[in-house]
Amino acid sequence: MQNSEQMKWVLLIASLAMILMSFFVILFIMYYQKRRFEEEKKLNDIEKNYNRLLLDTALNSEETERRRIAQDLHDDIGTMLSLTKLSLNQLNKMISKNGDEKEESIMKKSQSLVEETILHVRRITRDLVPTTLERFGLLEAIEEFIDKLEEDNSLIISFHANTEEFPRQGQKLELTLYRIMQELVNNAIKHASCSKIEIVLETNDRFVSLRVTDNGVGFDPEKIKENNLAGLGLLGIESRLAIVNGTVQYEKPLKGGSSALAQIPVMPLSENKPEPLHPFRRERVNI
Amino acid sequence: MIEIYISFCQKHTFICIAVFITFIPLIVSLFKKTYREASFSSLLIYLITKLVIDLTMFHFASIKQSTVVYYNISIPVYYALIGSMFYHKFETTRYKKWLIWSIGLFTLFSIWDMVYINPEFSNLHEQQLVFYSGTVLSLLMIFWILLYLYEIMLLLKIPNLLNFPFFWVCSGFLLYFSSLVCIAPVLHYAEKWNNPLDIGFVYYVPYIFEIVCAIFISVGLWNFSFESYAKQ
Repeated sequence: MQNSEQMKWVLLIASLAMILMSFFVILFIMYYQKRRFEEEKKLNDIEKNYNRLLLDTALNSEETERRRIAQDLHDDIGTMLSLTKLSLNQLNKMISKNGDEKEESIMKKSQSLVEETILHVRRITRDLVPTTLERFGLLEAIEEFIDKLEEDNSLIISFHANTEEFPRQGQKLELTLYRIMQELVNNAIKHASCSKIEIVLETNDRFVSLRVTDNGVGFDPEKIKENNLAGLGLLGIESRLAIVNGTVQYEKPLKGGSSALAQIPVMPLSENKPEPLHPFRRERVNI
Repeated sequence: MIEIYISFCQKHTFICIAVFITFIPLIVSLFKKTYREASFSSLLIYLITKLVIDLTMFHFASIKQSTVVYYNISIPVYYALIGSMFYHKFETTRYKKWLIWSIGLFTLFSIWDMVYINPEFSNLHEQQLVFYSGTVLSLLMIFWILLYLYEIMLLLKIPNLLNFPFFWVCSGFLLYFSSLVCIAPVLHYAEKWNNPLDIGFVYYVPYIFEIVCAIFISVGLWNFSFESYAKQ
């Protein structure tokens, strides 16, 4: 009888011990898994922030370098060309007095070449540093970009914004959107064989959106993602957007062509005033 | 007949709850269509088989006929079904191979255990519970469950275990087989249909955890969503 009672207790205690052990195993696994996920998340965040910082630094360096080159072009080559033009003008006057037609025609040709070079230098300088963007904002900069493109191409480029007075955004956001717009339009011209490009700029309390649509041959966005076919241009767009927490979606409209929508959350305006047009500052630019 | 059933239920409440509670995970499984996923279809087959065997045993027990033979047969069947469920869940090929081998070997072992202990099938009332199969089943199941939990810990694929249906299923089975592993050897050695062993409340512990297991499985199945499950 006593043995039977003892056996009951032994069994009860052994069973309870096993159940408790199982229970603690379950709790331990839950706790361990949660901790490992938190650690993994922290590591991912650190890596993500580090990559973002790297990208930011790389793009800042690129902008600084562009600015430096533009400044050198404007200050050094631009000045030299202006002086050359002046000297040629003086020389032209001297040659005109001699009345040699051959010399005069060579002089005219040289003068027009110098003038053309000055124009080229100005264009390159403007392309390198979008001064209109810094002074007047995104709307004007895009309009200026379109005007210049339409001069050189037979393309029809339309541009719409959802407000007449597009509010100024942070420097970084404006520059990012401008560069993305440049890249998307250049891609459409280079690869899409399109005749019409539509640019739409919209803003609300939360996002600034830029949509570039063309009527060209189009591409399959899924295929590009699956097969890692994105070129440097598309990767550059994604990198720029990653810094400002933006996103990009590529679509294939039913009517043909392709469409890209970039969205960036609205950022508070920085205290920094826009850079002056000229002379360029020689210091490092932080955008 | 219904009166006999009712009186049996009144006498053995925990045992009867453990039988009828299987309806809950079964209904949840059908409602959530969990059978679309391979491991959960094995679980559904296990639940149906368990319910059929349990109801048969309930019927024979209430009319005072031996159910030992059904219990003995159920052990390898349960192991094969629960094992196949884990077979689909394991991602390591080596574990899968071990599991397949263990199902085959355990089936042979439990047949041997049944024949060795009960050489005469004719006298049902003298039939004994298998000596080792129940305990080995519990130990093997605990081993596979712990191995599976170890695998999910290593793979780190499931962000929130509480939302992961199979974690609930594993936890339920782990608790049930842990409650059975100590009691099974004693019961299976000593108990006969004509000479039941009196171990008091301890006798009901596995049944209580069978109920807990069914509740855990139901919670897991309720969390099941085929679309999100396919991603995990």
